[in-house]
Amino acid sequence: MESTQPAVQVNSVTRRFGSLTAVNELSFTAQEGEIFGLLGPNGAGKTTAINLITGLLKRHDGAIRILGFDPQTQAREVRRRIGLVPQDTNVYTDLSGTDNLLHHAALYCADLSGIEKHIETMLRLMNLWERHSDPVRTYSGGMKRRLALARALLHDPLVILFDEPTLGVDVQGKHVLWEHIKKQQAQGKTFIVSTNNMEEADTLCDRLVIIDHGKAIAMDTPERLKAALARDVIMLRTTPVIEDPEDLFRGLGVQAATYSQADQLRLEVTNAESIVGELVARATTSHSLDSVRITRPTLDDVFLHHTGRALRE
Amino acid sequence: MRRLLLLILNELKMVRTALPIHLIAVFQPALMYLIMASVLVHPTFEVNITEPTDDAGKRLLEAMYDVGSPDGVPYINPVFLDDNDPIGAGIVTVEEIGDQPTAIYRYGLIDSNIVKNLRNRLTAAALRVWDDSLDGRAVTIIERPWLPHDPTYNLYFGMAMLPMTTFLAASLIGGFLTAQEFEFDTILEYRLSPVSPAVVLTARLVRLVLISWLSAGILLTVIGLLNDVWPASILAVTLILIPIALVGGGIGISAGLLLRSSLPAFVIGLGSAFACWILGAAFGLPAGFSGAYEFVSRFVPNSYAVELLFPLYYDTTIGDSIRPILALTIFSAVALGLAALAYRRRVLTCQE
Repeated sequence: MESTQPAVQVNSVTRRFGSLTAVNELSFTAQEGEIFGLLGPNGAGKTTAINLITGLLKRHDGAIRILGFDPQTQAREVRRRIGLVPQDTNVYTDLSGTDNLLHHAALYCADLSGIEKHIETMLRLMNLWERHSDPVRTYSGGMKRRLALARALLHDPLVILFDEPTLGVDVQGKHVLWEHIKKQQAQGKTFIVSTNNMEEADTLCDRLVIIDHGKAIAMDTPERLKAALARDVIMLRTTPVIEDPEDLFRGLGVQAATYSQADQLRLEVTNAESIVGELVARATTSHSLDSVRITRPTLDDVFLHHTGRALRE
Repeated sequence: MRRLLLLILNELKMVRTALPIHLIAVFQPALMYLIMASVLVHPTFEVNITEPTDDAGKRLLEAMYDVGSPDGVPYINPVFLDDNDPIGAGIVTVEEIGDQPTAIYRYGLIDSNIVKNLRNRLTAAALRVWDDSLDGRAVTIIERPWLPHDPTYNLYFGMAMLPMTTFLAASLIGGFLTAQEFEFDTILEYRLSPVSPAVVLTARLVRLVLISWLSAGILLTVIGLLNDVWPASILAVTLILIPIALVGGGIGISAGLLLRSSLPAFVIGLGSAFACWILGAAFGLPAGFSGAYEFVSRFVPNSYAVELLFPLYYDTTIGDSIRPILALTIFSAVALGLAALAYRRRVLTCQE
C-alpha cells in the first residue's frame, strides 16, 4: 500500500498564529526516494511547514498525508515512519554519541535486538565512530548535525524531515553531510529539506518549492526553475558607475538593470554571449571597464524574479 | 521489557545532565538533618547551680540527679558555678522566701517552651524533695511510658524527614529535568516517539524512585549512626517510601511539563516537598498538635508515611496500617494521573 502512495502530500495547508498566516495554502507532493526542498528566506514558514508535516503543529486548513497517513489523526502511524532533524540540534550534550542513539532507539526502534551493533554501523556511516564514547558537547557543529542525522535514521524511517541541514556547519562539513543525505536517498529514503541556502537547494534537492510569506511561489526542479527565467546575468563594473544603463544599452535586449552592489551593474539578458561584445563596446566609449562577468541564473535570481527581493534579504 | 530497561538505563545516565541538582537532592536532607540535630532540643538540660550549703539545697540537688525519663535519660544535668561567675545570674539558688526555702532559677533569652520544660523539670525535682520529706505519707507517682523505649527527639525528627527527603529528591529532579527537556528542546524526542507514554513515564518514575531511595538511604544511615536506632525492617521502610516518591515524582514531572522552565519547576518541587514535610507530622504526631493542624495533615501524604514508619522505629503501633496504605495509594494515583494528563497535554497533543 505504501509503495503506491506519494511519500508526502501537502494540500492547501494553512496555519495561522494570531493575525499572522505562517503557512498559506501551501501545496506540494514529494515522491518516494526524492529529496524535496522547501526554499525560502528566514521566516518564510519553512519550519512551520515541517512542524505541520510531522504533526507537531495543528493545521487550520488543508490536508497532509505521510505515506497515506494523516499526522494529526494517525500520529502513531506517522511517527513510526518519519525521522526529524530539527533546526536546533537537540541532542543530550552531556551524553556520548552512543548514549544519545541508545536513548533514541528505546523511544523509536520497533526491534531492539542487535541495537548496539546497529548504532555502531550508523555511527561508522556518519564517520563518528571514533568519537562515539565522547560527550557530544565536545563535537563540532558538523559532527552534531551528523549525529542528529544518524539518530533520525536509526529507526529506519521512510521519510526524513531535515530542517536547515547545514545551518552553522563549515564548508567541509556541509559537503560531507550532503554526501550522507545522497547516500541515504540511494537507499530509497525520502527527504524533505528546508533551507535558505541556495547552494544547498541546488546541489541537494531533486525538486523544490520556493516559499515566501508562507505561500508557494514556484515549484519544480532547480534546473527547470532557473531555465524558466530564460535569461542570463551580466555583471558589469565600470569607473565611473554607469548611471543610465537603459539609455546606454538600448536595443540590446536588456530586460532588467539593477545595482547588486554600489558599483556593480547587474543586467538581465536573454542570451549573454550574443550581446556581451556590443555591450562592452558601448560601455567603454564613456567609461573605463573594470570587470565583466556572465553568470547563469541562480535560485536567488528565481526568488528575485518572483518576489522582487533577494533570498538573502 | 527490554525497552523499559533501556529507557531506565538511559534515565540513569542522564544524571550527568544535571549533576548539581542530583547532588543537592541526594545529600542535602542528610546534611540538613545533621545541622538540625546539633541545634535541636536535647532531653538533658544543663542547669547552672551553686554548690548547696544547706540541707534543703543538698536535697534538691539529689532530686535533680534523680529526675529523668522512664528509660533513664537524665532530665537535669546540674552544672556547678562559682558565685563570681559572670553568668551567675543564670543559676539555681535556694533562698528563704517567707521563711520557706525556695529554688530560684533566673534565666535570660529563652522562649516559653523552654521555660515550660525547665519548670517541668524543676517541679519534678521539687516534687521529689517534697515527697521525701513526707516520710511514710509519700505521694506515689507511677510512670507508665507509652513507648517501650524513649529515644531522643532527634530520632522522631529524622524519621519524619525520611518521607520529606524522598519527596524532595523525586519532585526536585523530576521537575527540573522535565523542564530542562523543553529548554534544550530534547522534548522533541518524546513528542514524536511512537512508544507508549506509559512506558516513558514509568522509566522516569523508576529513576526518581531509585534516586529517592538513595537519598533516603543516606539519611536513614545518618539517623541510625547518630541515634543508634535502626528501623525494625529496612525493606518495610523502602516500601513505605515508594508512594511518597511517586507523589513527589508526579508533582515534579507535572510542574516541569506545565511550566516548561527549570527554575520555577525547581521552586515548585522544593516548595511542595517542604510544605508536605511541615504539614505532614514533621515535628510530632499530628494528634499532639492543634485540631487545625491535625485536619490539614490528613491531606498530606507524609503524615501517612510517618504513621507507617513510626512503629518501625518505636517498636509500637499507633493504629491500623490499612488506612495509611490506602491513603498513600490514593495520593500516588492522583499524582500519577496528573503527570499523565500533563504529559498528554504538553508532549503528545498537536500544538494548537
